[in-house]
Amino acid sequence: MKPLLVTITVVLGLLGAGRLPADALLVIREPWIREAPPTSDVLAGYMIIDNTGERSVEITAITSPDFAHTELHQTLVEDGIARMKPVGILAIPAGSSRILEPGGMHLMLFNPGRVLHAGDTVTLVIRRRDGEPVTVTAPVLRNIGSAASHQHHH
Amino acid sequence: MTDSQKPSRLRLVLIFSVVTCLSLAAGYWVSDRLFDRQTQLIGLQATRFTEPRGIQPFDLVDHTGKAFRNKDLEGRWSFVFFGYTHCPDVCPTTLSVLNSVARLLENAPEVPRFVFISVDPERDTPETLGRYVSYFNGDFIGATGTPDEINKLTQQLGVIYMRVTENEESENYLVDHTASVLLFDPDGRFHALFSPPLKAADIADDFSRISQAYR
Repeated sequence: MKPLLVTITVVLGLLGAGRLPADALLVIREPWIREAPPTSDVLAGYMIIDNTGERSVEITAITSPDFAHTELHQTLVEDGIARMKPVGILAIPAGSSRILEPGGMHLMLFNPGRVLHAGDTVTLVIRRRDGEPVTVTAPVLRNIGSAASHQHHH
Repeated sequence: MTDSQKPSRLRLVLIFSVVTCLSLAAGYWVSDRLFDRQTQLIGLQATRFTEPRGIQPFDLVDHTGKAFRNKDLEGRWSFVFFGYTHCPDVCPTTLSVLNSVARLLENAPEVPRFVFISVDPERDTPETLGRYVSYFNGDFIGATGTPDEINKLTQQLGVIYMRVTENEESENYLVDHTASVLLFDPDGRFHALFSPPLKAADIADDFSRISQAYR
């Protein structure tokens, strides 16, 4: 019994050691920017953030060199009224995910440096309290609804 | 129990039975008459008013610069949403859903109109509104007006909006606003309300049932 336990422990230990460098703890999936109507200089960004690590991660900001300013907001509907609540720190417990999606949590992107159209891409930098920032490229998508009424498409 | 009480008790039972029978008959008659309407309207996602609410006069401007008044909500069903063009998440999301609804109802027996009313006339000129709504759908109507005229309409509909002053330094201020979509009947009356989360298929389905039950 004992040698088997030791073997298992060693194997698990090796797997654990070799597994995840700090940067791999945050996985950004399906990032996208909603193409803005021609009158607007405020865009919204969405994505899924997975914390695949074993410790909680605190995201302090998501910035972009393509915009003058960004803010993380939560859309709350209270008594039928939509309000924007600024999200200071976005904490993601170990093993869980946060979804930024239309009508929910979203990244507000103010004053793009250039006019952005569907098909363009934008750089987003996910900054966290401990560890290196994660940089992703997000496509600008036209999302105006369709008869099939998907939330968004790729 | 005395003898004198017996008849009165019998009478009570009799009255009770008669009342019960009458109630059942009345209930049957009413439910039979309303059966079609009732079954159509069971399980709606929308909040439908028992009595549609008439609207006091208001005087707005549409995105082409023409007057937009009560009669412009008549003749067809109208979906109405209040928002503003600098709204980054809720308004584009809602207008996308409404565009999906419009497409789902393209060939419906009753094709509704869609109106986006800006509660931010300071930044939203008719021209701005025109470019904004047509981005989502070329048939959508944009409307706005003076704060007074906007309030005349919003107050009687229970629609609320307020400028958020946190970002005073920037012109990128936000406006909290009612997130529901309002439905007006062809007589220009406030008929039903769709609250978030808004799903295009549900709205289109509810609309078909509400509009069929109406005529």
